[in-house]
Amino acid sequence: MNPAISNLGEIVAFHAYGNCAGLVKLHVLEQTNKPEIFTLTIKAIVPGVNCLAYDEAIIAQQDRIQQEIANSNPLVSDRQDLSVLQREYAEDDTVYQLKIKDLYKKYSYIRKTRPDGNCFYRAFGFAHLESLLDDSKELQKFKAVAAKSKLDLVNEGFTEFTIEDFHNTFMDLIELCEKQPSLQELLSSFNDQNVSDYVVVYLRLLTSGYLQREHSFFQHFIEGGRSVKEFCQQEVEPMSKESDHIHIIALAQALNVSILVEYMDRGEGGTVNHHVFPEGGDPRIFLLYRPGHYDILYK
Amino acid sequence: MENKYNLKSPAVKRLMKEAAELRDPTEHYHAQPLEDNLFEWHFSVRGPPDSDFDGGVYHGRIVLPPEYPMKPPSIILLTPNGRFEVGKKICLSISGHHPETWQPSWSIRTALIAIIGFMPTKGEGAIGSLDYTPEERKALAKKSQDFCCETCGCSMRSALLTLNPNSHPSAEDHKAKKLAQQINFKAESSLSRQESSRGAESKPSTITEGDTSTSASQEAAAWPQAEVADPTPATGVEGSLPHTAPSTGHPLSPRQRRTQQHNHQARRDSREPTNRPAFALTARPPQDQSYAGSVVLIVVLTLALAALIFRRIYLANEYKFDYEL
Repeated sequence: MNPAISNLGEIVAFHAYGNCAGLVKLHVLEQTNKPEIFTLTIKAIVPGVNCLAYDEAIIAQQDRIQQEIANSNPLVSDRQDLSVLQREYAEDDTVYQLKIKDLYKKYSYIRKTRPDGNCFYRAFGFAHLESLLDDSKELQKFKAVAAKSKLDLVNEGFTEFTIEDFHNTFMDLIELCEKQPSLQELLSSFNDQNVSDYVVVYLRLLTSGYLQREHSFFQHFIEGGRSVKEFCQQEVEPMSKESDHIHIIALAQALNVSILVEYMDRGEGGTVNHHVFPEGGDPRIFLLYRPGHYDILYK
Repeated sequence: MENKYNLKSPAVKRLMKEAAELRDPTEHYHAQPLEDNLFEWHFSVRGPPDSDFDGGVYHGRIVLPPEYPMKPPSIILLTPNGRFEVGKKICLSISGHHPETWQPSWSIRTALIAIIGFMPTKGEGAIGSLDYTPEERKALAKKSQDFCCETCGCSMRSALLTLNPNSHPSAEDHKAKKLAQQINFKAESSLSRQESSRGAESKPSTITEGDTSTSASQEAAAWPQAEVADPTPATGVEGSLPHTAPSTGHPLSPRQRRTQQHNHQARRDSREPTNRPAFALTARPPQDQSYAGSVVLIVVLTLALAALIFRRIYLANEYKFDYEL
């Protein structure tokens, strides 16, 4: 190979050392196998130089998308007839239309949450407190569990003065429910971004705390060679990180609440499958899962 | 301060609490809000013992977003330290390339401990980082004690509690190191300022290892003067390159300068087979390590590329070129 060419390749690799290293390396590799290297070289330079700008462009775009989503979706919507789902999919989208029909057999209403990565926690928080509005006995039980939960977290090493505000906001909402407010009041609390996000943070902390307490069990379900603690720090505690089975199991067990999730995706079969967390529980909360998102279902 | 802010704002509530929590200086860190702005704090941290930063006390600013603690604070160092660039925002990475992200349950204290834990780590890979030699860092650590902040009136000599040899800093150290592993910092900038110089540094350092160790001490001594005496580094680019580098006034460390020179040498060699005299880049590289480096590199590579394509077409078609074109 022409030495001039291989040298060029190296400089590119040097220069782009940083965030886009993976991308650039790929190009450089391609380069060495092909006689026509010139255009490839250019391709490799551009992302290298604009690496950070590129990063920031992505972040800016994410912000714009988030803003758009926020403008068109309340954090927690009013209760709507299930027929709104039918209109979301094309009439000839038989897989989904069949599954929605199947859903109709069991549920009549849906309440949507904003698809911002926090939807599971928000849907869970709202649905559970809503279900406790007219069940003061359960509410008292839940209040006791919630009140004690902060101490558990502090004992696990969470800093008290940083989690206190989140816990207080959560307790304030439970106390609001004790006063048997109108549903509208609860709904407007959940649509106040400050309050709502603090509740989400606290539910994330509870999830993380439970996963870490039971780490010897949950370790087996974590992919990528990460420890439970690392998993919590990367996938549970930061806002906007989506939830999976493992999060749901942990939160359900941490608060001793049973959750039923209906799974609706492109899979064959024409019926929606459901799963109860933890298994064998008597669920009070029904959530609808579509890939990447959770909403609340009502019978 | 209490009546100036809306106490119902979650950020205000939280920051009041943190200000109370951090009121008294510790041996390792101290931070307080400015008198007239709860959303801007000044901090001092002690360089970790058993590192090049031993004996240093470093000062900086923390800027809190209105959404704090839902959004991360930005940290800006004001004392030259050889690890982080001075005056540039270091913020927690929210880039999709790194899974580590700010958590609302972290606090200003978390950020300070992370900064301490971060100092001895390698700067490579993180933008806004500097990779000065141990000698340079030690000299800066000594100098850092003389720093007085005009804004908050803090003197580094008295900013922190004196280190008590009987106390066990190892626990603190351990915590800091652990945190630093989790958190990922990067500078908040729209250009890859550091990238070219860091890239240049990675390879030739093996070549220059020998002379680095012998001459580093002299250079470390000479460097502070160089920093002052060298405010216009734009003389870097000579010859026929049309772009002159804009200067941001950031001096390079001696090692960076040398390695960059090396890299340019290598680049010149790589162009030689093309036999284009137009590319004879004779002088030192631009000392603005960042943006200018990228520009120069693009231009050089583009020209080299054009030359190669030109030559290829020329060879393929056996054109006779009119050189006056």
